[in-house]
Amino acid sequence: MSKLVIERPLPHGGRLVERVVRDPELGKKMAKGCPVYDIKPTLHFETGVPVRNVYREIMSICYGFFSPVEGSMTQAEVERILKERRLLNEWVFPYPLVFDISEEDYKKLGVTSGDRVLLRLKGEPFAVLDVEEVWRIDNPEELAHKTFGTPEDNPEVVRERFDKKHPGWVIYRSLNPVVLAGKYTIINEPKFKPPFDRFWYPPKKSREEYDKRGWRTVINHQTRNVPHVGHEFLMKDAAFMGDTEPCHGIQVNAIIGVKRRGDYPDEAIVEGHEMVHLAGYIKPERHLVTMCLWDMRYGNPLESMLHGIIRQNMGCTHHMFGRDHAAVGEYYDMYATQILWGKGIPSFGFPAPITDVPYGLQIRPQNMAEFWYCPKCGEIAYSGTCNHTKEKQKFSGSFVRGMVAEGVFPPKVIFRPEVYKVIVKWWKEFGYPFCNEKYVKEKEERLEVDLPHMEV
Amino acid sequence: MAHFIAILLDDKRLDALKGTGLEDKISDLFGGALKALNVEVPEEAEKGIMEAFTAARIDSRGAITDVPIAFNRVLFEEIVKHKSIGKEVFDSVLARADEIKEAAAKESTYLPPPDIDLSDVEELQKKPYQSA
Repeated sequence: MSKLVIERPLPHGGRLVERVVRDPELGKKMAKGCPVYDIKPTLHFETGVPVRNVYREIMSICYGFFSPVEGSMTQAEVERILKERRLLNEWVFPYPLVFDISEEDYKKLGVTSGDRVLLRLKGEPFAVLDVEEVWRIDNPEELAHKTFGTPEDNPEVVRERFDKKHPGWVIYRSLNPVVLAGKYTIINEPKFKPPFDRFWYPPKKSREEYDKRGWRTVINHQTRNVPHVGHEFLMKDAAFMGDTEPCHGIQVNAIIGVKRRGDYPDEAIVEGHEMVHLAGYIKPERHLVTMCLWDMRYGNPLESMLHGIIRQNMGCTHHMFGRDHAAVGEYYDMYATQILWGKGIPSFGFPAPITDVPYGLQIRPQNMAEFWYCPKCGEIAYSGTCNHTKEKQKFSGSFVRGMVAEGVFPPKVIFRPEVYKVIVKWWKEFGYPFCNEKYVKEKEERLEVDLPHMEV
Repeated sequence: MAHFIAILLDDKRLDALKGTGLEDKISDLFGGALKALNVEVPEEAEKGIMEAFTAARIDSRGAITDVPIAFNRVLFEEIVKHKSIGKEVFDSVLARADEIKEAAAKESTYLPPPDIDLSDVEELQKKPYQSA
């Protein structure tokens, strides 16, 4: 085989984490006699609206999306991440991940290091947390600032000081003061509800799926959107990058979690992407729609690092990154992600690209500019190629949302008709084409999963 | 740089513009697949819009977006009434801000879905390729 051929990367950290007990009797035995804690959503520190549910982090950790992370982080680990974006075992990682509870709940639980806590979700046993350390977040605002960086400390990429308009900053600002640090183990596997069940490919399974399909090279498309035609062409064109041939597979990985008003519902996002292959715009044999549970932090370069970790763990060889990747507002430079992957961000601990530092990532970035519609070319064009800059028509997400809200059937060059009809399908279900307060509230009550009944 | 608002024009709106003298302001979007009236927003009016409708933002094209649907409806009504896309139109629109906000509050809980046939996608979804 040619030396130019790219092989599937190892998981981040060298091995996939899988902390899921599939034998119910063993699960019951592990939970027997443990103090019980019912998982609650993290509520906005001012408005009380749900902004995160730690169950999504437990799922993503235990099924290996966040390998090599195995649980809620100790204080030393969080401090190392904030200083150098590395775990205590040296592997790069962007964000603190903690199991936080109120002082009141901590008193009721009465646990300390060495104890095991049974975590219930929707009233049923879900996971156990083996407590290694109990520590406190003294100043959540400071933690939130350190998590995302500041213009003074990270002048290469941070343009504005973070504040309560930033949904990721709000998550850290809203954390409870007591952290129970330790490893999680899922003891009662949740069942995904339709339509999510079709898209659940945790890393072990995604790697098996690639083997089944004969995929060696796979490029990932990050999404939190129903795909318009610009997204479709981004995927198709980016997939030409491979090694000695184009990438075998195009994977879509949707981030499923707490939504913001104006986002599309998660159900429409996953089914909208699926419709791209069901309607034949990409061959289904070459296209895999998947998802990961995570309440997005919108940390642009930091989020891209997490995306790289998730998709490398899933087995992808390449990852598409565009302008303003996983960003909201103008807190970061619009090319901050591409700076991280292209030359590094020293103030975040990376004097070289994140793929070139010790214990860094192996997945290859495909840093893309934008796609637009060119009426002169009569096609969706890549901005780095098409020279009709005066004639170009950009795909603006808010323009497209405005068109949908006004009930205008979008032209084929904006939305494939079948994809648009998926939006309408869920619009009829929820009475609204986008996430509104009702959807957000109800979604955080019903979640994406149900749990089998388990007597402990 | 002055920002603009793009009002999408369906057949009904195109008819309403006939005889207003604004026909030559209609532009083609996406190769003629959509028609729109691009209305330049005076600086003072932009300030008023941003203050009155906090979700409004400027997108990568320099367009003011994420205003309530009722805002676009009222803006179009005032354009037809004044046969103009000048400053006076925005003065009239902002004078109706309370009415727009009231309609927007209803818009935030329910929007009527378009009555279109979904049977082709329902058929496709009966045979999913993935069955994880």
